[in-house]
Amino acid sequence: METIGKSIIRKEALDKVTGKAKYTGDYQSSSMLHAKMVISPYAHAKIKSINIQNAWKVQGVRGIVTGQQVPLVGEAIQDRPILAQDKVRYHGEPLAVVVADDPILAKRAADLIAIDYELLPVVNSPSEAIKPDTILVHEHLDCYKRAKHITPIPGTNIASRFKIRKGNMDKGWRESNVIVEDSYSFTPSDHAAIETRCSIVEIRSDESIIVSSSSQAPYMIKQLMSMYFGIDMGKVIVNTPLVGGGYGGKAAVQLELIAYLASKAVGGRKVKLENTREEDIITSPCHIGLDAKVKLGCSKDGFIKAAEILYLFDGGAYSDKGIDLSRAAAVDCTGPYHIENIWCDSFCMYTNHPYASPYRGFSHSELLFAFERTVDLLAEKLQMDPFELRYKNAILPGHTTPTQTKLNHSNIGNLRACIDRAKELSNWDEGQMVEVDKRFVRVKGASCIWKTSTIPSNASSGVIITFNKDGTLNLMSGVVEIGTGTKTILAQILAEYLKMNVDHIFVRMDVDTQTTPEHWKTVGSRGTFMAGRAVLEAADDTILQLKSVASCVLRTSIDDLIVANSRVFLRDDPTVGLGFEELAYGYTFENGNSIGGQIIGRGNYILRNITPLNPETGAGNPGPEWTVGAQVVEVEYDRRDYTYKLIKATSVIDIGKVLNEKAARGQVTGAMSMGLGFAARETFRLDQLGRVLNHQLRTYRPIHFGEHPEYAVGFIETPQLDAPYGARGVGEHGILGMPAALGNCLSLASGVSLHQLPLTPELIWREREGKSDLI
Amino acid sequence: MISFDFDYYKPDSIDEAVTLFRSLSSMGKKPMYYAGGTEIITLGRLNLLYTNAVIDLKGISECNILAHNSDTLTIGASLTLAQLGMNHYFPLLANISKEIADHTSRLKITVGGNICGNIFYREAVLPFLLTDSQVLIAGKNGLQKNPINNVFCKTMQLENGEFIVQLQTQSKYIESPFVSIKRRQQWNVGYPLITVNSIKVENQIRVAIAGLCPFPFRSLKMESMLNRKELSTEEKVELAIQHLPQPILNDVEGSDEYRIFVLKNTLLDVVETLEGAGA
Repeated sequence: METIGKSIIRKEALDKVTGKAKYTGDYQSSSMLHAKMVISPYAHAKIKSINIQNAWKVQGVRGIVTGQQVPLVGEAIQDRPILAQDKVRYHGEPLAVVVADDPILAKRAADLIAIDYELLPVVNSPSEAIKPDTILVHEHLDCYKRAKHITPIPGTNIASRFKIRKGNMDKGWRESNVIVEDSYSFTPSDHAAIETRCSIVEIRSDESIIVSSSSQAPYMIKQLMSMYFGIDMGKVIVNTPLVGGGYGGKAAVQLELIAYLASKAVGGRKVKLENTREEDIITSPCHIGLDAKVKLGCSKDGFIKAAEILYLFDGGAYSDKGIDLSRAAAVDCTGPYHIENIWCDSFCMYTNHPYASPYRGFSHSELLFAFERTVDLLAEKLQMDPFELRYKNAILPGHTTPTQTKLNHSNIGNLRACIDRAKELSNWDEGQMVEVDKRFVRVKGASCIWKTSTIPSNASSGVIITFNKDGTLNLMSGVVEIGTGTKTILAQILAEYLKMNVDHIFVRMDVDTQTTPEHWKTVGSRGTFMAGRAVLEAADDTILQLKSVASCVLRTSIDDLIVANSRVFLRDDPTVGLGFEELAYGYTFENGNSIGGQIIGRGNYILRNITPLNPETGAGNPGPEWTVGAQVVEVEYDRRDYTYKLIKATSVIDIGKVLNEKAARGQVTGAMSMGLGFAARETFRLDQLGRVLNHQLRTYRPIHFGEHPEYAVGFIETPQLDAPYGARGVGEHGILGMPAALGNCLSLASGVSLHQLPLTPELIWREREGKSDLI
Repeated sequence: MISFDFDYYKPDSIDEAVTLFRSLSSMGKKPMYYAGGTEIITLGRLNLLYTNAVIDLKGISECNILAHNSDTLTIGASLTLAQLGMNHYFPLLANISKEIADHTSRLKITVGGNICGNIFYREAVLPFLLTDSQVLIAGKNGLQKNPINNVFCKTMQLENGEFIVQLQTQSKYIESPFVSIKRRQQWNVGYPLITVNSIKVENQIRVAIAGLCPFPFRSLKMESMLNRKELSTEEKVELAIQHLPQPILNDVEGSDEYRIFVLKNTLLDVVETLEGAGA
C-alpha cells in the first residue's frame, strides 16, 4: 500500500505547532457580549431567593437570566433545568447568567448576585443513593419527558437499570470450585482537557441561531436546540473549529443552551460564554464514578463459569449521558472472556455530585477496574499466572458476548495474540516481582481489555468530495478534529483508494452543520470506521463520474478505464488518458463543446444490524465490532514508604489494520498516560456536604511531564472485514486497562488487595495499617 | 480574570514605597505590596484577596541584589525563585526553590513574596530559618535588621506597610551539610504533603518543616530530640514527633495520620543522611 500505514503528518500540524490554530475561545469580535455564570457553592440546597438588584447596577450589564421558565433538558431524560430552578442539585450547578459588555463587567456583576440557600441533606455516593428511604435528588421523576426504553424508577434515585441475564447462574455456581467476590469504588473525576469549554451564540432576526462551540457533537447541538426551543432545525447552524481535547467531555450539550438564553436576553446579540477552569471541572459534566461488586466462579483448572456483577454508576445530579454509560457497561460487563453464565445489573444512580458525560472509553476503564481486579483475585486463589488465566478464558470467534452476540473472525480481534505479544514487550516471563533490594521491588500487573461502541443503531456519517480546477481534491466530513488526526486518516484512505498523492487532498478542518454532511458525533472511536466507509463510497462515486466523462472522450467503455495518480487512463495503455484537471470541471473539446461539468462525490455510511437490548435479558447486537487488547503496568515500589514510580506501561491492541503508524501509537500512548493519571491521582475529593474540594489544576493534577513511564505499544492486525482497510477503533483503547493493571500491580507489590481509585501511597498505607499483621 | 480595578505604582526607592503605602492608606485605599503577583492574580480572580492599589517592589534596586562577600550572602526579596534555583551560592535554597510551583510560576514568584504569601506552605523560608538569617525590613521607622527566627512565627510578623527588602545569611551556615526532601501526595507535581529541610551545624541537626501544619516552622524542641546522641535513630524520631506543633493538616493532599507516617520516614532519612556527614 502506498499511503495506508504511513505516518503521514496531520494536516493541521503546522498551525498547531506554531500556535496559529484557532479554537472557539480564540474568536473575538467588537460586537460580542460576554456572559458569566453564577454557580452553586452547595451540592444540595433549596434556592430561597435570588437577588439580582446589585448586579444590574454595574454599568455595562445588558441582561441577567435566572432559572425561571427555562425548559428542562437532557439526552435520555429531560431532568435538567438549563439554569437551576427551586433547588440546586450539585456543587457548581449554574443558577444564573449575566451578560455584559466585557468579561470583567460580567464577572463583577455575577459576583453581586445574592442567593439565599437552605441546605438539604446530600446523597454522597451511588451506594447511599440506592438505599431504601434515602434522600431523593429528584422528587418528581415521573413527570419528566424521556426517551423510549428509558425507565427511571419514581420514588428512588434510580435513573436507569440495565440487566444482563445470560445462561443459568445456578449451573454456573455448581460448576465453580473456586469463588471470589469483592467490592470496588471511586468518586467522579474530570477530563481536564487543555481547552476549557466555550460557546458563542447569536440569534439572527429571522430567528436562526448561529452557534460556535468547542464540541464533539455539533449535529446533536442542532438537533437538541431545535427540539428544546422549538426552532426549525435548518435555522440552527453550528460551527466547530478545532477542539482542544474532547475525551467525551465535549460530547454533552450544556453551555450552548446557557449561551442561547443569554443571547436571547440581549436581543439576540452575539454572546460568548467561556468556562473558567473551575467551571470546566465541576459545572460542566465530568467523568463518572462507580461503586461495583463482582463475584466470579471458576473450575479448578481455571475456566470461568459464572459472573455476578453489580454496577452502581455515580451519574450525578442529572442523568444526561450517564444512562448510556451504564448501558455500555452492561453490554461489556465482564471483560473479554468466554463466560456462559452471567448476571449483571448496571444502574445509573442520581447523586448530588456533578453530572457525568462520556469519558474516553465510555465506562469501560471503570468497569474493567472492578472486573479485572477480581480476575486477579481469582488467579491468586488458583495460584495461576494472571495472564495464563486470561489466556485460558479469552473470548474467541464462535463464543457469545454478555448480550449473546455471536462472535466471528471479523467482529472480534485476537486476544490471545495480544496477550502473547504483551508478555514479550513487557518481559513478563522474568517474573511479576523482581527484587531490587531489601526496600525496593519491581512489580508488574496485567489487564485485558475490550470494547464495542454502543452508539445508536441509525447513526450515520456523510462525506462530500469536490475538486479544484488543478485536479486536486477537497474532502468534507462532519468529523470534528478533536486532536486524534482522524481527518488526516480520512485523506489517507481516500488517497489510497484513488491511488493518488495524499498531498493533493485538502481537508476541511472546521465543521459547519449547514454545509458539512453530518457525522453523528465524534465519539466512541467511530470516526475512522464510519467516516472512512463514507469516504470509500464517495470515492467510488467520484471514480464513476470521472470514468463516465473520460469514457466519452476516449471513446471506450468505463470498464477499460483505471484511475490512478490523478489520471483516468486505459487499462492496457496508460499513456492514453486524461488528468483530473481536464475532467473535474467538465471536459472541453477543441471546438469548445463541453461535457460533464463539476464532479461532486458523495458517500454515506449507516451502521447495520444493530438492535436494541432485550430489557429483561440484555440480548441484542449492541455494536459493530470489539477491539481487544492486553496491557501491563510495571512500577518500582518502595516497601517502606508505600510510594512507587511508574517504570513501563505496555499496550498490545488488535486494531485490525494500522492506518497511520505514529498516529496510532500516539493515540494509544496518550490514552495510557490518561489512564495512569486517572488510576493514580485524578479524583474529586468530596467533603461530607458533597462539595468538590479540588476543582483547580493546583489540586486536581493530571499526569505531568517527568512522571511518565516508558510506553511500549504493539499492534496485532486481525481485519474487521467491513471496516476501511480492516481497521478497528483505537482512540480510546489504551486507557481501558490502565487502572486495573496498576491496581493489580500494586496489590501484588503491597500485599493488600486494593479496591479504590486513585491508587495513592496513602491508600496503600491505609490498607496496610488496617492489616498491621502483615509486614 | 480579576474583576476589581486597582491602581499600579512602581516606586524606585524604599522610602518612596513606604511613603506611598502610608499615603494611600490614609486616603482610604487598600494598598498591597506586589512582587511576583501570582497570588494577587490567582486569589484575586477568586475574590479571596482584594486590593485597589498595588505597589510594585521590583523597581527598588536593594530588593534585586544578589551579593556575596567573604562571610555573608545577601539576597534581595524581589529575586525570583527561578533565579534562586540557579544560584550556586546557597545550594539548599536553590534546591527548595526549584521544587516550588512550576517553572512558569517560578519565573514570577519572588522569595519575599513566597515567604509573605497567603498560600501557607511558604517553603522558601525554611533555609533562612535553619541558617539563622537576618531579615532587612523596611517600614515607617526606616530599615530594621532582625533575626528571621524572631520575626517569622508561622507568618512574617510585619506591621502594616512594612516589607522585606533583603535576607542575609552567613556563609558558614550555607556551607553546612544539608538535606531537602519534599514529599507529595503522588509523584513529582503538586503542593507538598510535607517538606523537610535540614542542616547540620556544629554537629547539631537543625530541622524546619512545611506542609505538615498550616504554617512552616522550625522546632528547637524537635531538634533537641533529634540530637540526643544516646538514642537510636528510630528513638530520636519517635521523640521528636511527640513535639510537633498543632494542628496537623488533614486536607485533600493527605490525612493528618498519613502525614505523620510520612514525616517519620522522612526524618529517619534526614538523620541517617546527616549523621554521617561532616561539620
